[in-house]
Amino acid sequence: MESPAFTSSTTRCGKAVPHLWIAATLIMVFLMPRAASAHDIPSDVTVQAFLKPAGGHLDLLVRVPMNAMRDTEFPEHGAGYLDLDRVDASLREAATVWIANFIEVYEDDTRLPTPRTVEVRASLESDKSFSSYDEALAHLTGPRLTNSVQVYWNQPMLDVLFEYPIRSEQSRFSIHPGLARLGLNVITALRFLPSNGAIRAFEFVGDPGLVRLDPRWYQASFTFVKLGFFHILAGTDHLLFLFCLVIPFRSLRKLIPVVTSFTVAHSITLIASAYNLAPDFLWFPPLIETLIAMSIVYMALENIVGGIGVQRRWMITFGFGLVHGFGFSFALRQTLQFAGSHLLSSLLSFNIGVELGQLLVLVLLIPLLHAFFRYAVAERMGTIILSALVAHTGWHWMIDRGERLRQFRFVWPALTAAALASAMHWLMAILILAALVWCVAKYWPLKFPLGQPSPSQSEPRTHSVAHGLNTETGGEI
Amino acid sequence: MKRNLYIGIGFSALLVALGIASSVLERRAAVEAAGAQAPRFEVDPMWPKPLPNHWLLGMTIGVSVDAQDHIWIIHRGGSLERMENYAAANPPASECCMAAPPVLEFDEEGNLLRHWGGPGQGYDWPVSNHGITVDYKGNVWIGGNGRGAAVAAPTQAAAANESQPGGGPFNDNMVLKFTQDGKFLMQIGHPGQSKGSNDLENLKGPAKMFVDKDANELYVADGYGNHRVIVFDADTGKSKRYWGAYGHKPDDTSLGPYNPDAPVAQQFRNPVHCTELANDGLLYVCDRVNDRIQVFHKDGTFVKETIIAKRTLGDGSVWDIAFSKDPQQKYIFLADGSNEKVYVILRDTLEILTSFGDGGRQPGEFYAVHSIATDSKGNIFTTETYRGQRVQKFIYKGMAPVTKKDQGVVWPKKAS
Repeated sequence: MESPAFTSSTTRCGKAVPHLWIAATLIMVFLMPRAASAHDIPSDVTVQAFLKPAGGHLDLLVRVPMNAMRDTEFPEHGAGYLDLDRVDASLREAATVWIANFIEVYEDDTRLPTPRTVEVRASLESDKSFSSYDEALAHLTGPRLTNSVQVYWNQPMLDVLFEYPIRSEQSRFSIHPGLARLGLNVITALRFLPSNGAIRAFEFVGDPGLVRLDPRWYQASFTFVKLGFFHILAGTDHLLFLFCLVIPFRSLRKLIPVVTSFTVAHSITLIASAYNLAPDFLWFPPLIETLIAMSIVYMALENIVGGIGVQRRWMITFGFGLVHGFGFSFALRQTLQFAGSHLLSSLLSFNIGVELGQLLVLVLLIPLLHAFFRYAVAERMGTIILSALVAHTGWHWMIDRGERLRQFRFVWPALTAAALASAMHWLMAILILAALVWCVAKYWPLKFPLGQPSPSQSEPRTHSVAHGLNTETGGEI
Repeated sequence: MKRNLYIGIGFSALLVALGIASSVLERRAAVEAAGAQAPRFEVDPMWPKPLPNHWLLGMTIGVSVDAQDHIWIIHRGGSLERMENYAAANPPASECCMAAPPVLEFDEEGNLLRHWGGPGQGYDWPVSNHGITVDYKGNVWIGGNGRGAAVAAPTQAAAANESQPGGGPFNDNMVLKFTQDGKFLMQIGHPGQSKGSNDLENLKGPAKMFVDKDANELYVADGYGNHRVIVFDADTGKSKRYWGAYGHKPDDTSLGPYNPDAPVAQQFRNPVHCTELANDGLLYVCDRVNDRIQVFHKDGTFVKETIIAKRTLGDGSVWDIAFSKDPQQKYIFLADGSNEKVYVILRDTLEILTSFGDGGRQPGEFYAVHSIATDSKGNIFTTETYRGQRVQKFIYKGMAPVTKKDQGVVWPKKAS
């Protein structure tokens, strides 16, 4: 790339003297030491790292592509090959300027001082030693590449061994890998090797902020409550579904069974997904996204048709809740790494966060809807208008997502023993769920007689739950 | 009450029955799994993401995966039809489309990263580029198989026939070495200078390259005009050794058309289309039109061969190979652009376990599947020449019992 100074000078001098400038520049180029620096920000950078407490120190091994070390001058020879015999000082400088200065490590919430750069190496990009900690450490303390290897200056990797002083290897460590400035899209793959012999893998995109590598249960829970809370608030499709639930039942008491049913259902599929029990179809995520859009359309249409009872709605909501749970799991997939050893409590916390978010939405929506129906438009008409707007949006989502889904062609799996066994497992799960739903549907209405639809919607055909099961659902739509 | 009891008993009985059945089936599945297994793949119809700038791919004639799992392809923009190039006309005839630069780099998600290529100062860009290899130092090697004089961009007619691009003597008698940014580093051979299969300075339609990191040696499948594998020092470009089929001295005598019923040819037919070195030091060479893979030691000593789809005429069946990414490289994936499938072959015995793919233009189908490569996660990438003109990704879905010799199109379905 031309420097801005060169460009502006050329422009000022006009056409008469560019040859002089070119000659001068060429002379300067030949007289200057053979060195070059990268200026372009690489679009895609993968950082590999190991963090291992060992005795009184914490080892951080990092591998970064050298093309991400911008503005660092590396000595060259020949046609731009890295001068491996003289490169150590530049590598150390780059390690400090581009890596150490932007990684913060904490021991029990106390920030550790700047690390000591123990070793640096330039490695070929095909070198596989960062596949394990031991191999990476052996590589970093082993022989260096020499000038017998010709490698273009920006194509190798920079490997660094940093060492932090620590009080105890039993401490809890946190890291803030602020390496996002290395490229436009930076992925950091970190493996933490605590003293108990476990290996915990993390993958961050960009700057993840402070990451607790071994969180206490309440720290993990708090993280996931926050995640769940903000996920529901940011998820327009979940919010619209919730909105549809609220429109006909504008009292918390009536909404409790409906929202509880939604919560239980999405918790089931969310937890199942976290334990890798969800189907592994490539088309499964687009299918779920399409079904979520369908759930919104269905709920909105049901509101428009009217006459919905709590009994019917919680059962429908349960079914759709299972679908939304898979949707939540897609959002959670990348963040489960922050759960440490508290997977289940983190999942439950995520659900709590989702519930808190839902509760907040309900608390805001109920009075708003009451006011809307009281002062703006009559309840029935208002229900139809609002539901129609939601149905319109949901319909477009459904069509768009359905188009994406249509690009996959479903092929029945081969009828192998493994496939049949898997189908049996799913059938058993569905049976158990159906049994649970049946039990709740049978006994809940007797204990909690909330079954009456909103009087304004179902006046002509009000049924008493005292008459027995399903009296209100028969022929309502 | 009694009714509820019956329902409860029914539920429980069904559950127990399903539990027993699934347990029996699982045991049977374990027995099946102990039999012949092969890697299973599903096409990823969403890969790669759309190209920017109304760019189109022409004959996509090479693919390689680098150490960062970035996917590099090379294609021939000159093979596009006139109407596909309307945006490149002067003045532009329409908003769309034009040829993408010849060399394109994608990340694992299918995002386009770098792109470059074409004629430049200090080197001879091929009339018809062919094959791309990213070596262990990250350098990018390119071959070519064009005939006739070099032009700025090959015409559609010149590139229309993948096997015999253009007319007249071979122009592309060289391989080129670039950095990943497209900076030229080295050229071995010169256009139009080949003296045949025993020429140490020039190649003749080199199809594919591989660099051995232990010896820093470049192996070239040479090629469309010559009948040999030739080895160079990858830094200096100095030739070191070469050989023909069975390790014989290569001979340029015409062998005539391939006849599956005739005795096996003692020389490679054109093109010698791939050369891939396995971790254990065995070199696998694609003798495309002879429908065979020949295996050698690094010094050219012949080890063994296998014939694939023997009755395949015309362009032949052995187009390109890639190894599975386990340390033992247990499997070979062979692209057959005539029968439009990828074979999964046990490297040890060269036995075909299964195959996937079929002719067609939908995802998972092939039209002239030309090149193949694997990434570190076991995924396969293929490119298609002629009017196929695309790159596809096949996601590795783990090992599965072999139930079919020919799986057909591997559309996404449930993992086992």
